[in-house]
Amino acid sequence: MNMITVLIVVMTFFMVISKRITSLVNAFALQSTFLAALALSEAVSTGSGGLYTVAALIFIIKALLIPHMLKRITAKIKAGENLGLAVNPMLSIACVAALDYLGWAFAVKVMRLPGPAETAALAVSLSVMLTGLFLMVFRLKAIAQVVGLLVIENGIFLAAVALCGNMPFFVEIAIFFDVFVCVLILGMFVYRINTLFTHIDVDKLNTLKG
Amino acid sequence: MNFLKPHYSLLLDPFSLFFLCVILLISSVSAVYAYGYVKDEYSPKKTVLAGLLFTAFMLSMAAVVTTGNALVFLVFWEIMSLVSYFLVVFETEQKRSVNAGAIYIIMTHIGTAFIAAAFVLLYKQAGSFDLVAMKTAALTMPPAAKNLIFVFLFIGFGTKAGVVPLHLWLPYAHPQAPSFVSSVMSGVMIKIAIYGLVRFVFFVLGVNALWWGNLVLFFAALSCLVGVIYALMEHDLKKLLAYHSVENIGIILLGVGASMVFIKLNLPVLAVLALSAGLYHLLNHAVFKSLLFLCAGSVYRSTRLRDMEKMGGLIKLMPWTAAFFLFGALAISAIPPLNGFVSEWLTLQAFFAGAMQCPAVGTKAAMGVYAAVLALTGGLAAACFVKAFGITFLAIPRSEDVKKAREAPFSMKAAMAFLALLTLSLGVFAGPVLGVISKVSAFAAGSCGMLVPRADFSSGVYTITPSLSGPAALSPAFLLLLLVTAAGAGAALVFVLARRRKVTAVPTWGCGYYELDARTEYTSTAFSKPFRLAFSFFLMPYRRTEKINESHYHIKSFRYELYNTYIFKRYLYQFGLKMTLRAARSLKRLQAGSIHLYIAYIFLTVLALMIFSGM
Amino acid sequence: MNPSNAALQVLALVIVSPLISGLIRKLKNNLRLRIGPGIFQPYYDIAKLFSKDENISVTASWIFRAAPYVALGSSVAALCLMPAFLPGVSFSAAGDFLAVIFLLSLGRFFLALAGLDAGSSFGGMGSSREMFLSSFVEPAAVLAIFAVSAAAGTTDPAALSLLGAVRPSSVMACGAFFIVLLAETSRLPVDNQETHLELTMIHEAMVLEYSGPSLALIEIAAHVKQVLFMTIAVNVLISPALAASLWPSLALAGPAFFCVKILLACAAVAAVEVSIAKMRLFRAVDFLLFGGLISAVAFILAVTGH
Repeated sequence: MNMITVLIVVMTFFMVISKRITSLVNAFALQSTFLAALALSEAVSTGSGGLYTVAALIFIIKALLIPHMLKRITAKIKAGENLGLAVNPMLSIACVAALDYLGWAFAVKVMRLPGPAETAALAVSLSVMLTGLFLMVFRLKAIAQVVGLLVIENGIFLAAVALCGNMPFFVEIAIFFDVFVCVLILGMFVYRINTLFTHIDVDKLNTLKG
Repeated sequence: MNFLKPHYSLLLDPFSLFFLCVILLISSVSAVYAYGYVKDEYSPKKTVLAGLLFTAFMLSMAAVVTTGNALVFLVFWEIMSLVSYFLVVFETEQKRSVNAGAIYIIMTHIGTAFIAAAFVLLYKQAGSFDLVAMKTAALTMPPAAKNLIFVFLFIGFGTKAGVVPLHLWLPYAHPQAPSFVSSVMSGVMIKIAIYGLVRFVFFVLGVNALWWGNLVLFFAALSCLVGVIYALMEHDLKKLLAYHSVENIGIILLGVGASMVFIKLNLPVLAVLALSAGLYHLLNHAVFKSLLFLCAGSVYRSTRLRDMEKMGGLIKLMPWTAAFFLFGALAISAIPPLNGFVSEWLTLQAFFAGAMQCPAVGTKAAMGVYAAVLALTGGLAAACFVKAFGITFLAIPRSEDVKKAREAPFSMKAAMAFLALLTLSLGVFAGPVLGVISKVSAFAAGSCGMLVPRADFSSGVYTITPSLSGPAALSPAFLLLLLVTAAGAGAALVFVLARRRKVTAVPTWGCGYYELDARTEYTSTAFSKPFRLAFSFFLMPYRRTEKINESHYHIKSFRYELYNTYIFKRYLYQFGLKMTLRAARSLKRLQAGSIHLYIAYIFLTVLALMIFSGM
Repeated sequence: MNPSNAALQVLALVIVSPLISGLIRKLKNNLRLRIGPGIFQPYYDIAKLFSKDENISVTASWIFRAAPYVALGSSVAALCLMPAFLPGVSFSAAGDFLAVIFLLSLGRFFLALAGLDAGSSFGGMGSSREMFLSSFVEPAAVLAIFAVSAAAGTTDPAALSLLGAVRPSSVMACGAFFIVLLAETSRLPVDNQETHLELTMIHEAMVLEYSGPSLALIEIAAHVKQVLFMTIAVNVLISPALAASLWPSLALAGPAFFCVKILLACAAVAAVEVSIAKMRLFRAVDFLLFGGLISAVAFILAVTGH
């Protein structure tokens, strides 16, 4: 289980150094797969049936459906594959490393959970969430905002699955559907912004301030 | 977290039932009226929407008065406000609707915020949202908390009721809504605020301090005078009626406030009398105000006009509407033997009895002052309705649109006739009505923990005798009899002595000038000019003139505009608005427009929280 | 309380009311060293009006035709509620002192509407000014009523007529009612009954369009209102019971004393009318507010026990 957690952290690094939209989306898909695997292993070890369904849902929705949709939108937009980095990849790695340290320090000092496994899981989930936020702030294209949101959501799921072992089933289903609808809407928005402004550089939207 | 499972407790005591009756009465009559109003006006889709919204409105109001749980109260209160907002802006083709709706929704939400704050404070003390639990907790609450809760409740419910200075939305929202909605809003919705105030102050908190009653009385008197003075200045018929709602809420609150004072001074029978006067006026106002709004709607429907200065002569073209409006005008001017007279008389009797029985000289003098204020507003209201009825219906039409007016269809006439008949019946059968209302108010007054002796203020079906130590009685039926006898004697005299007289129709005397037309008639602005000058210290009228000269001696055109200064709007609201906008503009520097910057704000906050939470 | 007694009292007062107007006019003329019309002239005027034809404006509606009857009805009904010279005798089961004021506003409402009905500017002006002045009369009247009723503890006129003593509060209340009388009966300094200039008329302007029997009814209503206010003013000062108790041996002491009181009141009204000029409309408001102040003082005196 620790291995899978490490892989998830590695994927955050991959997401941060990607310069193109498709590579970001692929990294996200891979991370979601690892998350599904984590859920599956939890399900096998605790034997709870709900977690099987959760693992399946994570895989189907976040590793297959959503990346597919995002790639389709990117193809339609023809805005170029360039992600629009505000911070170059090396510096981004350094930032994410710092965020990981912060997450780990927070987990240890504040949570005081029993067992190093749980602490590590919490630290990882926090760093994933912070990476998602980082993506939203320092990537200029609108798709990055969407992916950032999904990564934050991944982090939340990780915390839930690794720490609590089981989120209430309805809550998970509800969250899944929320995420699905959100991505749909965000996708539509990105498409519309592109039609109107012929680009999805969100930073240029600051001319709309008033 | 036990408030997450609210069990809807139904509260059907006499007080709730009274308000439920008022709601159902006015709503059903307005619905009958609405059937005729929308028949050829709205498309079928719009009619269905109007019907749904109207029903939702009525049901939410009914739910507000029958719930025993403060959270459910708040939920339905909010639903009621939202549905009425949609009804106000229902005819969205006019730009005025949007403005009116905006002012209404903002102010009603400010009021709801205060009510919610009061409920939260009560919940903290009581641990539950149930009214009965709050009542038990109120017995041991510190007085400072109770005072704060009372102030919040008064501001919150006062905004919805239209108490001055929180009345700004009323003259915007009520005229703009379609008439069958205005009648329910003005007749019922603002009374629900009175319900809330009395329910939470009498039942839950218990009247604790003398200054509560004095505060209510002061703002009630202020509302009376301000409402009627602004109404006198209006020449938009529905806006005039809206300002009169402000005035009548003041009259109702005079009764309620006096009752609060009497409860604190431990005068139970007087408290019941004062509260009965207030509730009687509440019922009467619901009836005659909706009648007036329905008539105004009938006028609007056939002439498309709301401005009185363009109307005239409608009594010949719309005789039934004019007759029903006359009933409403007589009732609201407190003219015997109709119902408005009975409730104003009762309020005056309550003040008189208070002046007799209160121990302190200051209170006695205050009772006299409030009685004088009530008498003054009664006189001013009569003047205003002479103006409203006279300019709208009498003499000759002042514009072309009015000449094409035709009478309202049957369902509208039926609704108005029913209400007009009700104004007469509630006056003539004052005995049983007062009997029922005094039981309701005895229940309300008794819920403060006071022992209320059995006090029946009526003797017989036609007479009421509220006086507690003397025989003063009022019998509107008997008065009607006297009036009819005396008038009949006059008619007999004319018949006997002047049987052979001829009655000829001649043009109006114009000092020898026979081409009189509508321009020589009296106007509404002219009618209210003496009042404008007498109250100019409050109204601060100013004029704007523009003269275009063709030559030194010859004026080509002269433009004259007369304005009143609305001091509450200018010095309270616009000032507050300016301050708020200034603060908002200074915050604008934080918002550079970049989404990344905003998310960065969130990011930084999260980081800061994480770093500093460990310390 | 015998209803037939009360009815006879009202009838007597109605019949005598034009005589009182004639008396006041005669006194005024004598004070001006003129002869003037006789004291029965109002009766002749009314008779003359009943024999005339009537002209009604084409723009007028049923309100114009109904207003004289309503005005007469309200004045007479208000008179029914007040005991005049028989202590404790009136139709006070119908209403109390406050109802008197409200009843009169009924007649005023319809007359004001009739003024607007003809569509002329004079009528509108008269209606506007009449409603304006009367709204400032109301608080003064109500406070004075409270002041007088304080001693009896009730606003019932029959009970008030049975009061015994003269008190400082009732003296001030009488003064306030005198001012109310001047305002309501359109006497100087509020309004001039003898003017024929439309711009200076108030009550007359409102009824300018009336002629024939309708005008006769309106004039009777005005006379009745005058006698009503005089009755109130004098009975507040010296109640019928007090008057009757001063001379218990005389059977007709009540009515006799009442006539004396009314004569004194007529003299007072005539003296005031002769010696003062008509006030501008907004000065008249100040005058009425002064009356309100007097009644407020009366009220304070009354509730503190004087």
